[in-house]
Amino acid sequence: MRLKLSILIAKFAALLSRKILRKSGETIAGWVLLKLSPRAISELSKGRTIICVSGTNGKTSTTKALAKIVSSLGSVTTSISGSNLDRGIAAALMAKSDFAVLEVDELHLANIIEEAKPKIVLLLNLTRDQLHRMHEVKRVADRWALSAKISPKTIFVGDIDDPFVNLVLSSAANSEKISFGGRRHLDAAVCPACGTYLKWVGNNYKCSCGLTNSGANIILQPGTAAYKNAAMANVAGKILGASESEIDERALERSVDKVKNGVKLKLRLTKNPASWSEALNSVSGSSVLLIVNSREVDGIDTSWLWDISFDQLTGKQIVVSGERALDIAYRLHVAGIEAEIATDFEAAISKFPTDSAVHVLAAYTAFYELVNS
Amino acid sequence: MSQLKIVRIHNELLGTYGDQGNAEVLAFRAKFHGITATIFDVSYNDELPTNGDIYLLGGAEDTAQLLSLEALKRSNNLNTLEMAIERGAVVLAICAGFQIMGRSFWANGVEVEGLGILDVTSKPGSKRIVGDIKTTSTVLGFELTGFENHMGHTTLGPTAEPFGKVLKGTGNGDDKFDGAVSGNIFGSYMHGPILARNPELADLLLTRATGRKYAQITDPLASKYAAWRRKVI
Repeated sequence: MRLKLSILIAKFAALLSRKILRKSGETIAGWVLLKLSPRAISELSKGRTIICVSGTNGKTSTTKALAKIVSSLGSVTTSISGSNLDRGIAAALMAKSDFAVLEVDELHLANIIEEAKPKIVLLLNLTRDQLHRMHEVKRVADRWALSAKISPKTIFVGDIDDPFVNLVLSSAANSEKISFGGRRHLDAAVCPACGTYLKWVGNNYKCSCGLTNSGANIILQPGTAAYKNAAMANVAGKILGASESEIDERALERSVDKVKNGVKLKLRLTKNPASWSEALNSVSGSSVLLIVNSREVDGIDTSWLWDISFDQLTGKQIVVSGERALDIAYRLHVAGIEAEIATDFEAAISKFPTDSAVHVLAAYTAFYELVNS
Repeated sequence: MSQLKIVRIHNELLGTYGDQGNAEVLAFRAKFHGITATIFDVSYNDELPTNGDIYLLGGAEDTAQLLSLEALKRSNNLNTLEMAIERGAVVLAICAGFQIMGRSFWANGVEVEGLGILDVTSKPGSKRIVGDIKTTSTVLGFELTGFENHMGHTTLGPTAEPFGKVLKGTGNGDDKFDGAVSGNIFGSYMHGPILARNPELADLLLTRATGRKYAQITDPLASKYAAWRRKVI
């Protein structure tokens, strides 16, 4: 009874937020709901199948893809784009459905697993990101592993080429371990399971404690991050009984095409060394705009720009902008790449000839400003 | 043209917070002075080269920090480092690397003995220290900026000088200082990386490493970047 009343009030708050503030109202609804009914996530999860998606990169697009796959089995509610903290999740769960596919922030995953008791947790990857908030990659992995250990009914699905994901899956009673033939991991010189120096041979690791990516249940072809996330969404869907859906890499790339002042833009979200490297590999053509910000969701520190190799940009026309344009300009300067610095987006665009095609690698906040502009 | 060897120690372990850029900035600034610098990466299983001019250590997570310490304590490596310091080589150690150079620190909830090269001891604080930091360098006389992200509180012993006086941020934790200096050994909590944010410090390290005084470098972008960070923090 109390929960129903709370939902009613939360919906009213969302309505006010939409009408008066012209916002989506989702976050405020979730916030109000949790204030009135702190156990709402747990209550609203009962009687339906919950699927959580987490990881450093690819959460939003993979959640979308998985929600689509699951929709062939019944009604689905899913998170609104990027709203992956407890209030966003509570808001998503307010709608009735057979399934709920939820994008979950890395630091909130353990709590959500314990409250929502998901049938499946899909873990994409874990690398350094927003270190001002996450602090240490290993601590996030340890917290996930503890959740896996105490959730014997949950099936943990993920890419064990990532040693941190493997640690979590190996701690679970039920898991589906996927390998794409190995990949190097920037943050895994140490075995997350036993703390010794992790032995890597090429793209594969094998620790004396037994942690290795050679013990996968499912071995798939190597490919881009977008392809891998789509393939893993299919594995999760299959466990639930859904038939395989065609993989559309473009849809999972977090890339958006736009035309601005006659310039064709291919926007791509970049937020940490792993997503930057992935995006830089996809850069074709000779015009590139890099936008670096340092608001909370971007990461307030920019030191990690020095962990990225920018060799792919040599010989291209590079323009930089954003609040931390100077950070990236100096980083490139030391790498032997001279960039033009633009004060804002309009000025940046004007530096390219009209009709040119420009790859735009944008920080989280810049990406959404551009997509919504 | 003179030669300079920059030794980047255990970057796979001590490279979590972007500090690997310090080596690149050093090599880049060296070029302006007519010095050919090479960056020599040493990993966990390698022996430290005996002929390094500048040795660099960066920030790390606890377990990685312990592995790096263990590798540096292997008798050959410790001898190499001590002998290098004796002949005047420069050491720049950041965050976890700074703690390793000290007498003791805590990692994974346990107190361990460091290399004892810097007269400092570190203990965990109650709250993680995260944010922009600005200091006035006590030995260099100019402002430094960076970003700190650590649990450790560090206390200086009698033979270590503070590296910077904190203007903004926290630094060592309790004494309003950041880092420590002893001869050519520099320790700091500043990421950024510190030499990218403060290119004059890179020049000072080059001067100390080669024993030669260089003319001032004109690199407008580097100066603009450093000045901007000093203004906004």
